[in-house]
Amino acid sequence: MINVLRSEWIKLRTVRMNWILGILAFAFPLIITLLTAFFNGDEASFSAQNLLEVLAGTVIVTTLLCGVIAAASITGEFGFGTIRPTFAAVPRRMKVIVGKGIVAVAFAMVLVAIVVAIGAGVGRPLAEGQGASINFGEVSTAVPALVGAVVLAGLMSLAGFGLGLLTRSTPAAISILIVWPLIAEGLIGGLIGVITGWQNVAQWMPFNAGIRIVFVNVADDPGGPSRVISGLYFGGVAALLAAIGAVAVNRRDA
Amino acid sequence: MITVTELTKRFGSKTAVDQLSFEVRPGVVTGFLGPNGSGKSTTMRCMLDLDRPAHGTTLFDNRRFRDLQSPLHEVGALLDAGYVHPGRSGRNHLRWLAATNGISRSRVDEVLDLVGLTSVAGARLRTYSLGMRQRLGLAGVLLGDPHTIILDEPANGLDPEGIRWIRDVLTHLASQGRTVLVSSHQLSEIALMASDLVVIGQGRLIEHGTVNEFIDRHADRWVRVKGPAVKSLSAALSAAGGEVTATADALDVRGLTCGAVGELAAAQKLVLHELSPQTGSLEDAFLKVTAAAQEFRSGEVVQ
Repeated sequence: MINVLRSEWIKLRTVRMNWILGILAFAFPLIITLLTAFFNGDEASFSAQNLLEVLAGTVIVTTLLCGVIAAASITGEFGFGTIRPTFAAVPRRMKVIVGKGIVAVAFAMVLVAIVVAIGAGVGRPLAEGQGASINFGEVSTAVPALVGAVVLAGLMSLAGFGLGLLTRSTPAAISILIVWPLIAEGLIGGLIGVITGWQNVAQWMPFNAGIRIVFVNVADDPGGPSRVISGLYFGGVAALLAAIGAVAVNRRDA
Repeated sequence: MITVTELTKRFGSKTAVDQLSFEVRPGVVTGFLGPNGSGKSTTMRCMLDLDRPAHGTTLFDNRRFRDLQSPLHEVGALLDAGYVHPGRSGRNHLRWLAATNGISRSRVDEVLDLVGLTSVAGARLRTYSLGMRQRLGLAGVLLGDPHTIILDEPANGLDPEGIRWIRDVLTHLASQGRTVLVSSHQLSEIALMASDLVVIGQGRLIEHGTVNEFIDRHADRWVRVKGPAVKSLSAALSAAGGEVTATADALDVRGLTCGAVGELAAAQKLVLHELSPQTGSLEDAFLKVTAAAQEFRSGEVVQ
């Protein structure tokens, strides 16, 4: 298994697109968070909660980009045909699929962990330098939200990886990964809400529920699942996508 | 030794490979021939578990491919030189492949040197020509120094030097006792390097044996006679039961031996400049044998 992990890590880091997406995923939340800390830090009302909300909110984009990288890590293999030499080198396909999934998920979680560490660690002195008083201890949900961001990155990668396994197509997997949470879940939730009268459907749609893991204050958005339930629910959906995809790839011709 | 037994692969209602059985013995190069669409590539993919066969098995020294612990050390395969990520460098392509089986980086550099790609190892694969990709694919095959080698059209895109190089490499590897199975449309190349043949058509086995047996059995044979007045021999040859075809400076005689033709010429006191047995090529034999199994036929060329 170590050999497969090493091989998949080489694959991940030797494709330029992954570097571009990785840098974008890394830089976007940090630029927004640190600029916000620098320019809004002089406002008397700017608090630790504000800083965390900006960081957590922008990290959602990072997790989506991590999902894209994970999806492309498998769809690219089918697109370029490299899945065949891969399976010829490691005939136990599940070993490859699991190894690839582990690398994609671990990469995403480490990336987001670094992002939230820098965002919080550098954002605080930046804002304080402008006069704000930032005390993360005042925000009881700070740690759960930041840990949630790391978990969401892993789950989003797992979901993207599952979609990649199922579709085998980069455009299809990425379209679903972006369009579904940003547009489709809202539309479907709204439609079901109109028909059934249940107004909180959208908050219970898988990706929207998953994103609640990073909310600094989940209680501000009532009607949806709690942070833990969100994690378990979205984690279950992501694991299901990956499991169905893995079984399909294992059975079908490469 | 590769043992293929009753291999069957269907795509919907089409049977691409139909109860195919053959053996590939070590120590020689075995040519895998068949017309376009005959199922050669599908067979190779099924042998390597890349396509799931409906029925049948392939054993490599009595073991299934999926049971091999370090496949690159046991079976080296190149099915398509295009199976690369164009954004990766040649060296990185080999590195990830080597890593799957715990093969060292130094071995990657060795095989790059062996195939003559060291100077372009850092270049992205999108800049490689087809011939360079074939060489890279061969480097991948050689990474684990395997005892079984399976290649699908390895000479595609290679220049004459490359074609000779691959022929020399494969015959050398076979001479070391390795099992080598090579599919190719370049029959002249197969004739030069292969000792055994597996010929298939429409997914079924047509012929399995040595190249010499195949040519002996299926290629045309005739006697060529040349001489200053050889045309005058034509009537006597026909009368003796020969089928005579006159060319610009010779007669090609079918149905008679060299000896019989020589005696007839001697009886007429004719001077001969050439009296030689002729045999058709592997290409002639292949086209004759697979005529009924051609899925795609070309039109006649209007002269």
